[in-house]
Amino acid sequence: MANVLFYLIAGVIIGSAFLAITLRNLFHCALFLALTMFGVSGIFLYLNSEFLAAVQVLIYVGAVTVLIIFGIMLTRNVMDEKTRVMNGQVFLALVVAAAMMAISFAAMNKSVFKTNDHPMAAVSASPDQSQASPSTHTDVYSLGPELIRPEKGFAFAFEFVSILLLSALVGAIVIARKDPA
Amino acid sequence: MSTIPVVHFLYLAIILFGIGLFGVLVRKNAISVLMGVELMLNAVNINYLAFAKYWNWNSLTGTVFVVFVITIAAAEAAVALAIVISIYRQFKNANVDEVHYLSQ
Repeated sequence: MANVLFYLIAGVIIGSAFLAITLRNLFHCALFLALTMFGVSGIFLYLNSEFLAAVQVLIYVGAVTVLIIFGIMLTRNVMDEKTRVMNGQVFLALVVAAAMMAISFAAMNKSVFKTNDHPMAAVSASPDQSQASPSTHTDVYSLGPELIRPEKGFAFAFEFVSILLLSALVGAIVIARKDPA
Repeated sequence: MSTIPVVHFLYLAIILFGIGLFGVLVRKNAISVLMGVELMLNAVNINYLAFAKYWNWNSLTGTVFVVFVITIAAAEAAVALAIVISIYRQFKNANVDEVHYLSQ
């Protein structure tokens, strides 16, 4: 039952991603992109990451999609019916994407990941890790120390990415401003 | 207990990445190209989490990496849309194959 739900979510993700790329109306594209992000947050739930699923919905569905819709509204005449939505290299792009996917599929089918089971089964099979008790293990409580404790090694990257985010927001305001001062 | 093989997560991620790559290569509008990039970043996030949880079910390293990727994707989306709006104001056009001059 739970597996059926996974493949259902995967089908929704692939279908809505395909529609988000191929549809003519950009507004519909943005809405299908939001549906894809919802599906990906469902996949995150399957991977024991409740916090990331919530963050995915908040940031991608809430912020990025709204930002994209604002961009579509502000560049109005891109939605007219006459212009073609795709450029002249559809066949070439199809070949490139299909070749990339085929090579990756071939590599995956030869890899060790093909034969092993889901990590949940692997963890419950090994006795030393099963006593870590996943039921009391909560994602959010241990994520903060993981991010900022110096011995974990992510503290510098955490501070650096906050500076990057701040400078990107200031830069976006400066770039999109009407009169260049 | 669900036992989904980890390679099925990888299949899903590579299909999503291929769709995003196709969109980046084929769409004319800059905002659609940005949507393709977002799809590719999400595929990478699925891969990160699947591998991290495959390695150790209670590990948080994959979560930390995905948090970083989401942050950088948000910053990238903000800057890219600002550039698209600026280009549209300059050229009255947002198609990447027609705006190929760095200046007038």
